[in-house]
Amino acid sequence: MRHSLLTLMVAVPALLAAAELPNWVQPREMDNVKARKNFWSFQPVRKPPVPAVESKWVRNPLDAFVLEKLREKKEEPRTELDRRALMRRAMLDITGLPPTPNQMREFLADKSPDAYEKLVDRLMAGTAYGERWGQRWLDVVRYADTNGYELDAERTHAWRYRDYVIRSFNSNKRFDQFLKEQIAGDELWPADSDALVATGFHRTGPEHIVGGNQDLEMNRQEVLIEMNAGVGNVFLGLTVQCARCHNHKFDPFLQADYYRLAAIFAGTEGREVAIATPLEWASYSLERYEWEQKVKPILDAIKAIEKPYRAKLKAEKRAQLEPKFRDALAVPEAQRTPEQAELAKNAESQTGSTWDEVLAAIPAAELAVRKGWREKLHELELIEPEPPPHAYAAVNSGKPHATHILKVGDHKMKQGQVEPGVPLVLAIARGQQDLGDVTRGAQGRRTQLAEWLATPDHPLTARVFVNRMWQFRMGDGIVKTPNDFGALGERPTNPKLLDWMASEFVASGWDIKKLDRMILTSSTYRQSAVQRRRMDAEVVRDSILAVSGQLNAKMYGPPVKTPIEQEIYDIIFTEQEPDNLWPLPKDRREMYRRTVYVLNKRTVRLPMLANFDQPDTMSSCPQRPTSTHALQALTMMNSDFMAESARAFAARLGKKDPVGDAYSLALTREPRPEERKLAEEFFKKGGTVADFALALLNRNEFIYLP
Amino acid sequence: MSSSTFPKPPEGLCSRSSRRDVLRAAAHGFGGIALEAMLAKGAFAERTNPLAAKPQHFPGKAKNVIFLFMVGAPGQMDTFDPKPMLAKYEGQKLPESFGKITSQFTDGSTPILASPFTFKQYGQSGAWVSDLFPNLKDCVDDICFVRNFYTESVVHAPAMYQVHTGRILMGYPSMGSWVTYGLGSTSDNLPAYVVMPQPEGTPEGGTPCWGSAFLPAVYQGTLLRPGPTPILHLKAPAGTTPERQKATLDLLQKMNDLDTAPGDSEMAARIASYELAFKMQSHAPEAVDLTKETEATKKLYGLDRKETSEFGTRCLLARRMVERGVRFVQIYSGGGPVSVQWDAHKDLVPNHRKMAGMTDQPIAALLKDLKSRGLLDDTLVIWGSEFGRLPMSQSGNGRDHNMHGFTMWFAGGGVKGGQTIGATDDFGLYCAGTKYHMRDFHATILHALGLDQHKLWYLHNGRHEKLTDFGGNVIKEVFG
Repeated sequence: MRHSLLTLMVAVPALLAAAELPNWVQPREMDNVKARKNFWSFQPVRKPPVPAVESKWVRNPLDAFVLEKLREKKEEPRTELDRRALMRRAMLDITGLPPTPNQMREFLADKSPDAYEKLVDRLMAGTAYGERWGQRWLDVVRYADTNGYELDAERTHAWRYRDYVIRSFNSNKRFDQFLKEQIAGDELWPADSDALVATGFHRTGPEHIVGGNQDLEMNRQEVLIEMNAGVGNVFLGLTVQCARCHNHKFDPFLQADYYRLAAIFAGTEGREVAIATPLEWASYSLERYEWEQKVKPILDAIKAIEKPYRAKLKAEKRAQLEPKFRDALAVPEAQRTPEQAELAKNAESQTGSTWDEVLAAIPAAELAVRKGWREKLHELELIEPEPPPHAYAAVNSGKPHATHILKVGDHKMKQGQVEPGVPLVLAIARGQQDLGDVTRGAQGRRTQLAEWLATPDHPLTARVFVNRMWQFRMGDGIVKTPNDFGALGERPTNPKLLDWMASEFVASGWDIKKLDRMILTSSTYRQSAVQRRRMDAEVVRDSILAVSGQLNAKMYGPPVKTPIEQEIYDIIFTEQEPDNLWPLPKDRREMYRRTVYVLNKRTVRLPMLANFDQPDTMSSCPQRPTSTHALQALTMMNSDFMAESARAFAARLGKKDPVGDAYSLALTREPRPEERKLAEEFFKKGGTVADFALALLNRNEFIYLP
Repeated sequence: MSSSTFPKPPEGLCSRSSRRDVLRAAAHGFGGIALEAMLAKGAFAERTNPLAAKPQHFPGKAKNVIFLFMVGAPGQMDTFDPKPMLAKYEGQKLPESFGKITSQFTDGSTPILASPFTFKQYGQSGAWVSDLFPNLKDCVDDICFVRNFYTESVVHAPAMYQVHTGRILMGYPSMGSWVTYGLGSTSDNLPAYVVMPQPEGTPEGGTPCWGSAFLPAVYQGTLLRPGPTPILHLKAPAGTTPERQKATLDLLQKMNDLDTAPGDSEMAARIASYELAFKMQSHAPEAVDLTKETEATKKLYGLDRKETSEFGTRCLLARRMVERGVRFVQIYSGGGPVSVQWDAHKDLVPNHRKMAGMTDQPIAALLKDLKSRGLLDDTLVIWGSEFGRLPMSQSGNGRDHNMHGFTMWFAGGGVKGGQTIGATDDFGLYCAGTKYHMRDFHATILHALGLDQHKLWYLHNGRHEKLTDFGGNVIKEVFG
């Protein structure tokens, strides 16, 4: 039992008499919520004193909390990693790239007692820091560059949110600011284009866009589901989405809470807001005009080739029409009865041809000419002028919809209307008399949500985020379910540590780098691993590019496509002519960019990344699973990417000591005698340097963090 | 991570000193006894091979599944659910008592279209089959038709997600992923879950139809193709001989062995994954090699006819897969251009003739072949689509989508053949009486496999996610 009856009775203030309750909460529900408001994660964060543990092992307060816990369990800290291994781990964790031989030498040569701290400072000051943190944040917010579903169109301007995230981590933006910009940047800083871009947060999830009859209300509800899940999972660390169809089964969230939260977004809509300068507009118009002048003759030429065959097909199909359709067509359009008009419309539809029928009708010689034109067209498409900058934003429509509780989440089964508000239990736990109400105005709903989340004494915001930081660096969170601080989630393994970090974090001005540095320089972080962590999918790819000397470190900008296998090309859905579905960049160097800049298309997962558990971006991914299976091995041994990388890696190695060079580049250490012997035997039997390089890139020591 | 099928390894198992020797031997041995020992059943095997076979929750007759998916949706009143009333009311509007019908493109106001196909009763059971299926009609006594399925979206992709994953939203694991997560696979040299799309293109739902979503990537469906490279990255890159590759792999495993401390199951799993990959490289080409099949078998599947040879090849491959222990096989009829889908918004006759012409003989062959080899008892064969089609016309000679009532069928794997369950109304629009949701469809399939839908869960973002969400009804009559 977590609370005695006495504390419960004392703790529950007399809030409202049953008669005064608003229509969306029943007295019984209110009693239930009140009774459970003392759940640990709803309680205010209280900063515990740092334990007075005597030990040279303790480098900072985090270690003191950790050591105290270890001693309670009669355990001791694990040994500290040697400097080389620690350097490698820190590099991979902080930058997502392995150390270069020079970086390693420089670090090892620094004999000062704070050499490691200086290293951490250097790495945290570099731009790769934000790329690495950014990727983690993008996991949590389920960022992708496309809409998902069948058409899965690219979101032309969504990447600015990705860049905003990377820049925010690099500039050490205060976390409360980061939060407010993402939730209500458009309301709070209307003149700031960055804040507008930040609201793309509400649109990172999938969105179903398809032709035909639309159920607009269902579409809107799907958008709201994503917005609610975003705030709930990412910032609150709660599973509010479970209360969409019924009161939450495990936590004191009412179904009404879900819809009150949704009502905050009742006036929010996705919109591409122009943030371009007049000059950018002007030059775009000009470039676009010039480009269209080049495209038009090609389109005309293709059309001219197709025209007679389209006409021929049409004539053939007309001849085959059932009499009633043919007869209707024969009547002049103006003289058709409504029935004839309908039949004629059907006849038009029946005599239309799809692209594959047309191509099948064109003779080979003309088809070849057409192909040439198509290729010219695709070349031009590669240099289509970038549209002027827009924010892929969420803004207010000016007229919020009324929000109803929906029976079992079905938009056709509206129940009582609710007004915007935050979860009741959190309001009550903080003694709010207003039950968490938020303004009903057309403006400011999200601002209030953001301010509420960012209040220094919010019980969840800081706890949830510092837990993510700890998990990011240590592998597991203090709460091992980072998106669920509710009843079904895990309890904190070290609650005092969690609360100390949360309160210290807020007191420092929500300073991410400060706490991150504390974690990274702690003795706790420097321990040898019990279970070694595998590189994330992106780190695998980026590390291979780096070690093989192919990495293009260029930052930011529209997502880039990298080569895909024919098998993957074939599963890109289209009903159209599938001849240019994956145009590769004109500048080949673009294909060697860091993976955070590689196009993340929801229905086309790159095998190398998917096999290494890259999240599917359909729901928030708080922690990636690590699966190990044969398809990974096949990709790592046989893919073109690996073959190319192994060749490039081999080409970097000196003739004198390729084995030594390879170990130095890939593992930043000297080969041991038995390893040299293995290599010698391999070469003696005819093994090539590229094959040796491939084996090294596949090695566990390379793929796993020390 | 918490889940229903990842037991923690028993205490002490991983620290036994003999285990490292086993691994070392395996790493150097390439197959052989040591590897067999390493992959032997038990918790350690599961740690090193996440796809190791796992026990059923209760005895279920089906061990494998072949899911035949008709992309774009055949019309139920044109295939297995005859509606004479349509002929009677041909050209008229649907009675107003049916209410407002919204489909993807039409609004219910178009005239009724009689089925242009002829129905007859076949077999001992007297099941109704249209003349689209002159071969399948001979198999009806092995088939259980269920005519009263309904779904929640009238749009292809969401409806495909619902039939594959249980939800109209993207982002949930596919049925095959759940099944391999629950049961693993008895094959250790082929993927547990293979997918064979239409060569012309992918279904509208795309890869999420066989994706693992939030389940670990190991449970995703693997694309399988006929030909020399059936699995992506199966073959060494051009210019690398098998001997050279073996030497590279040997070097890698020796180095990996140096990195592996006793008791490190994660590293052991990675070593094992290369062993499994190597086994797959040597076995998969054999598994898709049809040259050893008899002429009679090839003829049975229609490999000798242009119209049927492509789909027939995939059906034959499906049999070869389940023969070799692959757990779940998913085959798509249709994908890519609209002309290669069952999506007959117009030209119903040529469309369904073409699509049925490609698939009828191969599917009948698959059922007959499985049966004659004694594989049908263990193999659940499912035929279905994302929804059905409307009794009213579109474009004068086609039909729009119908989510309210449609037919799917089951055969083998403990299914009682020769029966028809459920009904749609006189026009084939809505289910009449009992109706079955996709949750019920999934519950029934899991039941056939001896999996308890409530015990097969995975904790994701605070929810015990299940294929059937809050539960479906097993359609018990399917099993007699």
